[in-house]
Amino acid sequence: MHRPRSLAIPLISATLVGLTVLWAFPENLGFWRSIAIVSGWTGCGLLAASLLLMIREAKLADWLGGLESMYRWHHRLGVSAYLVLLVHPLALAAAGWSEAPALAWAMLAPWRQGWPVWLGWAALLCLMAGLALALSPAMPYARWRILHNLLGLAIVLALGHLLLLGLDYLLLWSPLLALAFVLWRVLRADLGLGAQPHVVARVAHPAPAVVEVRLQPLAHPIAARPGQFVLAAFLDGPGFRGCGEYHPYTISAVAPDGEIALGIKALGDCTSHLQAVVPGVTARIEGPFGDFLNERPAGPELWLAGGIGITPFLGVLRSGPLRHPVRLAYLHRNDADAAFLDELRVLAKAEPRLALDAVSCGDHLPDLAPLLPEASALAEQHCYLCGPPGLLTAAVRILQQRGVRPAHIHFEHFDFR
Amino acid sequence: MMRKLFLLGTGAFWIVVLMVWAGASWLPSLPEQALPPTEKRFTLDEVARHASLGDCWMAIERTVYDLTRYLPEHPSRSGIVEPWCGKEATEAYRTKMKGRPHSPEADHLLPQYRVGVLEEP
Repeated sequence: MHRPRSLAIPLISATLVGLTVLWAFPENLGFWRSIAIVSGWTGCGLLAASLLLMIREAKLADWLGGLESMYRWHHRLGVSAYLVLLVHPLALAAAGWSEAPALAWAMLAPWRQGWPVWLGWAALLCLMAGLALALSPAMPYARWRILHNLLGLAIVLALGHLLLLGLDYLLLWSPLLALAFVLWRVLRADLGLGAQPHVVARVAHPAPAVVEVRLQPLAHPIAARPGQFVLAAFLDGPGFRGCGEYHPYTISAVAPDGEIALGIKALGDCTSHLQAVVPGVTARIEGPFGDFLNERPAGPELWLAGGIGITPFLGVLRSGPLRHPVRLAYLHRNDADAAFLDELRVLAKAEPRLALDAVSCGDHLPDLAPLLPEASALAEQHCYLCGPPGLLTAAVRILQQRGVRPAHIHFEHFDFR
Repeated sequence: MMRKLFLLGTGAFWIVVLMVWAGASWLPSLPEQALPPTEKRFTLDEVARHASLGDCWMAIERTVYDLTRYLPEHPSRSGIVEPWCGKEATEAYRTKMKGRPHSPEADHLLPQYRVGVLEEP
């Protein structure tokens, strides 16, 4: 990731929080009441920053260092906002405690208050429930997506809390901005207004439980490069009913006429259902996202692919001759399961700079130590990894042990929860 | 990491809420401050001389309050409160919004700003 882009998110977050707090900073108030006000507005600023990072726009993602970085910061800022907002009612109670403990409890007990406080409590409890579910790793994706909406409801309730308190309208810019970000996300991404319509032109099955779908743009083609990924939602078509959920898929080929190919492995309910997709099915495409394999420095490279993780490398190989020597280690269960292996062998024969090392590993993660080059061969090499999380963790550890600098190890997680 | 922070923060929050509830239930309240034996009496004309945010008196249920020190803490914007400075504001106090009175917290805070009573008409 480029350094200026890696600083963009912290700088934007600090600006949003700083402006919000500066605007609303209390004067001539007691200590705890000041803490209550500052914590409330800090939480608002952090929420606005967190929600900005939920927007899925290709240019914004490129500017902010990629969708993965945005989602990582979205989580950090969302949890930070929640923790700071928890201080808000407690500090109000602390302000009352100096008068009398009963007054402190009156500040917290919702049944002794009115609509402004009820809405504040409702917003906080929605945030609490929404985050508890959002951070639950075991929840099925479809249910997780629906319950994640509780967090959007929390923003609406918080705005109601502030409006009913009769706050100065100018003070409301920060929560209104947060609400605008939610609406932007819902309209442009979830309802698909920002997505490009495509239609499935061809379908191939390069291996069991893997389908490669070729998509023709129905309006504008996306400006995709091999190795990038898109978020795609497959809809209905002849004899096929799509699940309509957006999932990330790597682009395995880009044609001059705007056609893109996506390699899709059956990993969940939706992707298993997609194995039966047929030509004529429509799809909405958002992106492209990611800079994996783009702007690669000169010099020999190591590519390590595990299973369907071969698709970004295949996309680059299909796009034209290599500029630098590449050693591609392709790990797969067995030859019958190895998607695109035959095509890769043909490409390797035609491309003198490519050394293909296809390894059958069975059902377990292999010992990577003998499969990866020795330290001397890795000196100053850039290593590009794509595969399941266990493979990535093991490979990164070995590469670092062999002296490869972290800045020379490139991979993407594809974890967009 | 984020999940741990969430769980720790949420747990600590509810523990503090429980502590406040326990404190309110079991700790003794401070004795009510005794009212002065003879209170000053003010007419509405005298109250009306204190009609700005920098010097704001109000008459609420025949008691006169100097709320100047409190106004910066009032959560509403000043434009909502200022029109009631220097006036008989019982109705505004009892119907904060849509017929709802102020909270018990406000009732609790009010006596400390008391400066006297309203002269009988």
